Amino acid sequence: MLGNDIVDLDLAKTQSNWRRKNYLDKIFTDEEQVLISSAKNPDGMVWLLWSMKESAYKIHNRKTGNRNFAPKILKCIIHSNIDGEVNIDGDTYFTKSNIQTPFVHTIASPVYNHLEEIKISIFEAPNHIFDYKSTKPSCVSHHGRYLALVY
Amino acid sequence: MNKEQIIEALKTIVQPYSEETSALAHIDENTDFINDLKINSANLVDIILDIEEKFNIEIDNDSMAKMLNVKATTEIIESKLAANAG
Repeated sequence: MLGNDIVDLDLAKTQSNWRRKNYLDKIFTDEEQVLISSAKNPDGMVWLLWSMKESAYKIHNRKTGNRNFAPKILKCIIHSNIDGEVNIDGDTYFTKSNIQTPFVHTIASPVYNHLEEIKISIFEAPNHIFDYKSTKPSCVSHHGRYLALVY
Repeated sequence: MNKEQIIEALKTIVQPYSEETSALAHIDENTDFINDLKINSANLVDIILDIEEKFNIEIDNDSMAKMLNVKATTEIIESKLAANAG
């Protein structure tokens, strides 16, 4: 099972005010909040951590069959600029992120070695492919201008 | 505040975060924030914070985890209001 999540950073800027009082505390652990406050680019760190959590949640949710909104129990560890892991209830999901000026995209897998094998397609509006469902992606993420598919 | 009043207040809160005008107009207990109103999950946090401010209650993480639809959200608001009143 694969997960992926894309954040359109221009849209995130206008859609979400993470500096709002108590906002970070609802989503991020104390350790993650330290990563954000000490980052050179706090906006980038917020959305990097968010896309890691979302991509891992998309696998975990399918695995357990439980839908919920509990971003804080998905605990992120960042190993390098792009490599990380997300831990939830004893399960680990490995992540790899692609950080660009207009977007952050993260892929996730429960098996670290599978990350290298994931095929990624990112489309920017208005150039979305017509019937992407027929290509049977393993996970779909859509935000703002971007559509991201993984196989 | 009864259930209908809570749902009406919720409708006002979620409106800025959804472009699904038809689903918003027909909001009821069965409305799902993500599947029906297509609310971005990062904005669910804003909705939780708006609810805390509007109703003067505190939403703990376990309650927040369930707040994906109008029914669960209304029940949580009702129980927090009752706890405040007690």
